[in-house]
Amino acid sequence: MRPSMGLAALTAVVALVAGGCGYDATPVPEAAPEPAYEPADPPTCETTDSDLASYDPADADPSSGKVDEIRERGRLIVGVSADTYLMGYRNPENNRIEGFDIDFARAIGAAIFPNFNAGRDLHIRVINSGQRIELLENGELDLVIRNFTVNCARWETIAFSQVYYEATQKVLVRKELDDGDEDNGEYHGLEDLAGKKVCAPNPSTSLDNIQERQPEAELVPAGNHTGCLVKFQRGEVDAITGDDTVLAGLAAQDPSAVVPEQQPISEEPYGIGANADDEDLVAFVNSVLEDMRNGTWQRSYRKWLRPHLGVDATQPRPVTPYRS
Amino acid sequence: MTTVLLFGVLSALVQFWSWQSDGRAADDTEQLVLVQEIQSSLLRADALATNAFLAGANAEGDQQEEYDAAVASVFAHIAEAAEAQSADREALAALNVAVNDYATAVAEARVNNRQGFPVGAEYLNLASEGLRADAIPILANLAEANGERAEDAMGGQQPVWLVLIGIAALVVLVRVNQVLARQFRRRINVGVAVAALVVLLTTVVSAAAAARGSDQNDDLLGDELRSAVDQAAARTAANDAKANESLRLIKRGSGEVFEAPWRESAAVVEDRAAEETLDEWAAYAESHAEIVALDDEDRWLLAREIAIGDGEDDSTRRFAAFDDASDALVGEMAETTTEALRSGRGFALAGSLLTLALGFVAAVAVARGIGARRREYA
Repeated sequence: MRPSMGLAALTAVVALVAGGCGYDATPVPEAAPEPAYEPADPPTCETTDSDLASYDPADADPSSGKVDEIRERGRLIVGVSADTYLMGYRNPENNRIEGFDIDFARAIGAAIFPNFNAGRDLHIRVINSGQRIELLENGELDLVIRNFTVNCARWETIAFSQVYYEATQKVLVRKELDDGDEDNGEYHGLEDLAGKKVCAPNPSTSLDNIQERQPEAELVPAGNHTGCLVKFQRGEVDAITGDDTVLAGLAAQDPSAVVPEQQPISEEPYGIGANADDEDLVAFVNSVLEDMRNGTWQRSYRKWLRPHLGVDATQPRPVTPYRS
Repeated sequence: MTTVLLFGVLSALVQFWSWQSDGRAADDTEQLVLVQEIQSSLLRADALATNAFLAGANAEGDQQEEYDAAVASVFAHIAEAAEAQSADREALAALNVAVNDYATAVAEARVNNRQGFPVGAEYLNLASEGLRADAIPILANLAEANGERAEDAMGGQQPVWLVLIGIAALVVLVRVNQVLARQFRRRINVGVAVAALVVLLTTVVSAAAAARGSDQNDDLLGDELRSAVDQAAARTAANDAKANESLRLIKRGSGEVFEAPWRESAAVVEDRAAEETLDEWAAYAESHAEIVALDDEDRWLLAREIAIGDGEDDSTRRFAAFDDASDALVGEMAETTTEALRSGRGFALAGSLLTLALGFVAAVAVARGIGARRREYA
């Protein structure tokens, strides 16, 4: 090897070793895209007034059948929500499940057990909305009281009491859209949602209704209504749509939110669910609901929903003729 | 003479490179352990936040403090890691944003919970989901990148290269000797022979040292470092499981939604945790099974008591025993690894310099050997 070539090789090696020790930058993963709006499955039947009819409370016999079985067992098992503020939620102060729906569970329990003690005689079982029908069908629950809309499709698998609350789909907005000052915008109805971001759980008929009646609204889905409230508080959406009972619960948690007076978007009649075979229990529940016209229903409504919905309401009349 | 000089420089450079590699391996190992520490602390913070939330506004004192400390340590470690490795800076900046979002959501959850609003539970749930969707994948990339870097750097000992360079130099020296023998009619040139001897000895000694270093690094990679990484992964998974345990009770009635990820995390713990920490884990898993049984029977208050209680048989106390033991083990194994990598570096550097010097000595020997022949025939 000639000296000049050797020196050149030497220099190259030194440069190589001294120079190159840098690492490639650690890759940053891309953020997952936000879930897109998905239409709910279309209904398999059309709900009519006759679907809201239940079993005649006059047929109730508390001394036999399912009611007697529950009394013999020593406890009434009711499926409820624990995260729907005002309807069924855990009060963190005392860890008790409270709300409008829970008052109905207590009233039914009190009608079954002579010396009713809620802690002993009423088994409140917290369930999610997807479990409502399944747990009634397999007999794990006697009743479900969990903002449960009565419709024809559900009647094919379970039974419902008469309607105990006529919920409606409405829209929740920021308070400045309901302060009477037209200069900073006011919410009057669906026409005001054009170009606005509207949130509801995905998939849901609430989102479908908005899509159908105000296609210029931008639909922003969330996992559930409380998830919508988080988006609302973070300024990611302008409005939330859903049952007025649920919206009342959301507005109660946020002083900047309001459910203004408005034309309802759809009717959501709530019933108490039971196993399809427990017609006698349903008739008994209906008799309890009729007894609640003595002021119990009104007291419960005024305590939980009236302050946040801002409107008076009356207990719905049963649809007749009764189901046979 | 150039050949012998080249041998000296190349051999020295290979050893110098090994010295550098061991240094980088130690740095990369420290960075890997730091990343694992960030991941464990972050999931620990989540386990503490969810458990404090479950305990409620009136009983969250100690756990809230622990949570604050865990989050503060995460931010401090992110800054430390960004300082230590420039290639990680972009990922760590993204991680910083994700952790900040998480901490903000937890604070919002806490404020709402104190007012008795269920939206607090949703903030907490979204915080935990966001942590797993945004921060954990970044940490996984950081751990993978630094693991690969440490492993590559630990493979920086090159005994084969040293042998090849030595053989090449010897072949050239033998050839030079043959040429000299033909030209000057002497079978062996003393200078070239001395140079060959120096090259041979240097090659044998440096290659043996490099082989020993390579074996040591393989052992560290397979034993101490693997144990540290496995135990850190087990600790991370365990805290993930503990957070899911609290979330199932916070989101009452949604047990299975959180039980499935609990079981996945438990499988990781059982697979990767060191034998000596599995008793602590088994004790915690027993408490967890009790919580699940009670919650499934809708005896929620009793389940909650076991989840947040500080009694010897309660879940939180038993979990803390596993977490503390894991933390100590990770620290011990990581320290052993980095100390071992750094301890041999002085010899490697000295060997590199000595090889360079011996290369010069051999070059001088060759020059003198050839010079002597020239003088004889002048």
